[in-house]
Amino acid sequence: MALYQFTPSRANLKIWLPLVAAVSLFPLFVNNEYILNTAVMAGIYIILASSLNITNGYTGLFSFGHAAFYGIGAYTAAILSTRLGFPFLLTLPLAGLAAACCGAAIAVPTLRLKGIFLALVTIGFQQITYLVIMNWMSLTRGPMGIPAIPPVSFFGFELSGNQQYFYLILVLNLLVLFLLSRIIDSRVGRTFVSIREDELAAQSVSINVFRAKVLSFVIATFFAGIAGAFFAHHARFVSADSFKLEETFLILTMLIVGGMGSFAGPIIGAVSLVILPEVFRFLAEYRGVVYGLIMIAAILFRPEGIAGVPGIISPRGILSKPEKPKAVEEAAP
Amino acid sequence: MLIAQLINGLTQGSIYALIAIGFVIIFGTMNLVTFAHGEVYMIGAFMGYFALTILRLPWYLALIMGMGAAWVLGFFIEKIAFRPLRSAGHMPPLLITIGLAIILKDLAVIFLGAENRPVPSIYSETIKIGEIQISLLQLLILALAGILIIVLRLLIQGTKIGRAMRATAQDHEAAYAMGVNINRVFSISFSLASCLGGAAGVLVGIYYNAVYPVMGDTAGLKGFAACIFGGLTSIPGAILGGLIIGVVENLTVQFIASGYRDIVAFLVLVVVLVFRPQGILGKKIRAV
Amino acid sequence: MSLLKIHSVSVSFGGLAALKKVDVDIRPGEIVGLIGPNGAGKTTLFNCLSGFQAVDEGTIHFQDEALHRLPPHRIAGLGLARTFQSSRIFRRMTVLDHVLLGRHRQQKAGVWGALIRPDWVRREEADSRKRGCEILSFFEDRLLPRVADFADSLSYANRRRLEIARALVSDPQLLLLDEPTAGMNPHESAGIAKLIKRIRDELKVTVFFIEHDMKVIMGVSDRIVVLDHGEKIAEGLPEEIKRNPEVIEAYLGRKHGA
Repeated sequence: MALYQFTPSRANLKIWLPLVAAVSLFPLFVNNEYILNTAVMAGIYIILASSLNITNGYTGLFSFGHAAFYGIGAYTAAILSTRLGFPFLLTLPLAGLAAACCGAAIAVPTLRLKGIFLALVTIGFQQITYLVIMNWMSLTRGPMGIPAIPPVSFFGFELSGNQQYFYLILVLNLLVLFLLSRIIDSRVGRTFVSIREDELAAQSVSINVFRAKVLSFVIATFFAGIAGAFFAHHARFVSADSFKLEETFLILTMLIVGGMGSFAGPIIGAVSLVILPEVFRFLAEYRGVVYGLIMIAAILFRPEGIAGVPGIISPRGILSKPEKPKAVEEAAP
Repeated sequence: MLIAQLINGLTQGSIYALIAIGFVIIFGTMNLVTFAHGEVYMIGAFMGYFALTILRLPWYLALIMGMGAAWVLGFFIEKIAFRPLRSAGHMPPLLITIGLAIILKDLAVIFLGAENRPVPSIYSETIKIGEIQISLLQLLILALAGILIIVLRLLIQGTKIGRAMRATAQDHEAAYAMGVNINRVFSISFSLASCLGGAAGVLVGIYYNAVYPVMGDTAGLKGFAACIFGGLTSIPGAILGGLIIGVVENLTVQFIASGYRDIVAFLVLVVVLVFRPQGILGKKIRAV
Repeated sequence: MSLLKIHSVSVSFGGLAALKKVDVDIRPGEIVGLIGPNGAGKTTLFNCLSGFQAVDEGTIHFQDEALHRLPPHRIAGLGLARTFQSSRIFRRMTVLDHVLLGRHRQQKAGVWGALIRPDWVRREEADSRKRGCEILSFFEDRLLPRVADFADSLSYANRRRLEIARALVSDPQLLLLDEPTAGMNPHESAGIAKLIKRIRDELKVTVFFIEHDMKVIMGVSDRIVVLDHGEKIAEGLPEEIKRNPEVIEAYLGRKHGA
C-alpha cells in the first residue's frame, strides 16, 4: 500500500499504534525544555496542516487564508480567557467556533470563485484580518498584542512545563486526527474528493457542490481555530505578527512537501519542517530561504511531496488547465 | 488640504499603476500570476538606492539601473518558475513564485538588514499651479509614470515584438502557428513587466525617502488588487485601479485612521472578486 | 404515461439555434436511441435534461416534476442519471469509491453521521457497498477485481464502464448515456449493447442514449429519435428510420459507424 493511501483504522492498528506509543514515551526520555517546545510546535502545525489539507488537498480549493483563522482562534481564546476568565475547556471549542463562523461568512460569497481567483480572495481576507486585528485597539490591543494569557488548567490543576503541554497537544492531535479521519472516510469525505476531481460529474451524482465546498471550508477553519486556542494558552501571548501571510505560506509549504490529499502527508510535512531548522541549526538564520527552496524543489521535482496523492499539483494534474482560467462556475460540460 | 491629499494619492496611485500594469502584461500574455513581483519591485528599489547613495548617480541613471536590475531578475524568475512548467496551468508556477518571493525577501533581510535605508531627497521644492500646491517631486513621478506608460504603449503597438506579444495574448496556439517564438515572447513580457515593477520601486524610494527589504509584499498585493479592479487584462483598467487605490488610501488616512491605510487595497480586491470578478473594464467572457 | 416529457425545447447560443422546438416523449421501460450528424444538438439536449444547459423556450418534465429550472444536482437527486461524452470519472478515486459515491442520493449521512457513526450510518454504508458490488458484477470481471485501484489506472473501455456503473448505482429511473461506445472496438461495443439491454431488462431502468454506432443503435433501441441542425426530423422504429429518406439525406456524405 502506498504511503498516500494510508488512513489509520482499527484494521491497521499494528502500524500506527506503536508509533503513537513511541511518541507518548518520548518526553520521558528527553527532558530538554527547548526540544519539548519544538515538539509542541510540531503538534500545533500537524493540526494546522491537516486542517488545511481538507480544503486544499481533499477538496481541491486553494485557500491562502489559513493563518488568519489560526489567528482568529488564538485571539478568541486570548480575549475570552483574559477578559472573561473562561477556562481552556471553554476557550478551545469557542475559538474553533469563532474561526468556523468567520470561515462560513467568507466561504458563502467567495466559493463560487475558482483557482487563482479563489486564492486571491482568500489572500485578501488574510490581509484584511491581519489589518483589522492590528487596528481594532479596543478588542485586540492592536500591535501590542494580548499578554498574560492564563495557562491551560483543568479544574484547578495548572499545566506548567513543556512536558505537560506535550501530552496535552498529543491528546489533542489524536482527537483531531481521529475526527478528521472519520470525516475523510465517509460520504462527506468522498464528496470532497469528487469535487476536486470533477465538479460537473459530482453534480451529476446529486452532490450540491457549493454546499459541500462551504462545509469543507468550515471544517478546515474550525480546526485552525482550535490550533490557535492551544497556541494562545501555550505561548501565553498573542500578537498579529504570528498570523501573517508568511504563516499561511509556511503551513502550505508543510502541506505540499508532506503531500496533499492524504492522511499522512500533512503530518509528515509538519514534523519535517518544524524539526528541520532545529536539526540544522546553522540554517536558522536562513530559515525562509530553506523553506522557499524546499517548496520550489517540491513543485519542480516531486509535486506530490513525500506522501501525497500524485497528480493534484502537477503538469498533468487536475489543477492544470491550459486555457484561460475562469473565475466563476459555468454550467456546460 | 483635500487637494494635497488628492495629489499625493494620484502620485502614489501612479506608482501602483506601474506595478499593476506589470501583472496585466504577465497575465495577458502568459495567463499566469506571479507572487514574486513585489520582491522584484524591492530589488529595483534597492538598486536605485545604491545608485543614488553609493554610486552617487543622478536620479535618472538610478532609475535606469533599477529598471535594469529588475529586468534581469525577471528574466531569471521566468526561467526558473515558468519555463519548466509550460503546460502545468497556473498553480505550480504560482507556488514557485511564492517560494522565490520568500527566498528573495529573506536574503534581502539577511544581507541588507531589516531597517529602513534612507534615500536622499531630490527636488523638494514645491510650486504653485493656480491654487494648487504641488511638489516638483510629485510632478516628476507623475511625469515619469506617464512617460513609461506611453513608451510601453508605443512598444506594444508599434514594434515587432509588441505585435508578437499582442498575438500571443490573444491566442497562444494561433500565434505559434504564425511563427511567433512563444518562449521569447514570454521571456520578454516577463522581463518587461518586472522592469516596470523595478521602476515603481525606485520611484517609491525617491518619493518616501526610504527603502527596506519588506517593502515588496504589500506593494505587490496592492498592485495586484489594482490589476484585478481593472480586469486583469486591461492596462487602462490597471491604471485606473492604481490611481483609485492611491487616492482612496490617502483619503482613508486623512479621514479615518492611518493604520487602516493598507486595508483599502484588500477591500477593493475582495469586493471586486466577490461582485464582479472580471473587473471594471474586463470583458465578461475574456478576462474571466 | 411518460417518464420524460420534452416539450418544444429551444436553445440558442448567440444567434445560432442549437435546438429548435424539440419534442420527445420517453415512456418507462423504453430504450430510446438519439442519433444525428455531428452538431445536431444531441449533447445539448442531454445537457438541458441534466441541468447543465438552460433552455430558452419550452419545458421538460420528469415524472411530472419540471426539470428545466432545476440545478444539476437536484435533477440527479430525482433519479435522472447520466454519463458524459468525454468520460468524466474521478481519476484519483478508487473504483469502490466511485460506486459508493454514486450512491450519494440514497444516503443521508452528513458530518455528524461521519463523526459519530451511529448504527444507521453503518448500515447505510454497508448497503451501499453491497449495491455497489452488485452493479460492478454486472460488468463480469472487468471492474470487480479492480475495486481498490484508482480509476486512472483503468483502461479506456473500463473507464467508460465505470462511469456507467457509477450512474447505475443510484438506482435511477432514467439513464442518459452520451455515446457510450465512443472509442471502443466492435467487440467492446457489442458488449455495451448487451449491457444496455440488461440495464433495462434486469435493473428496470429506462435508457435514452446518444450513439453514432448504427449497429448498436439499431440492435438495441425500441425507438429512435433523429436530430439534425437542432430539429427533430424523424422518430420511429429502427426499420423505419433506416429507410427514412430525410434521415439518409442528413447523413449523406457522412460516415456512419457500422
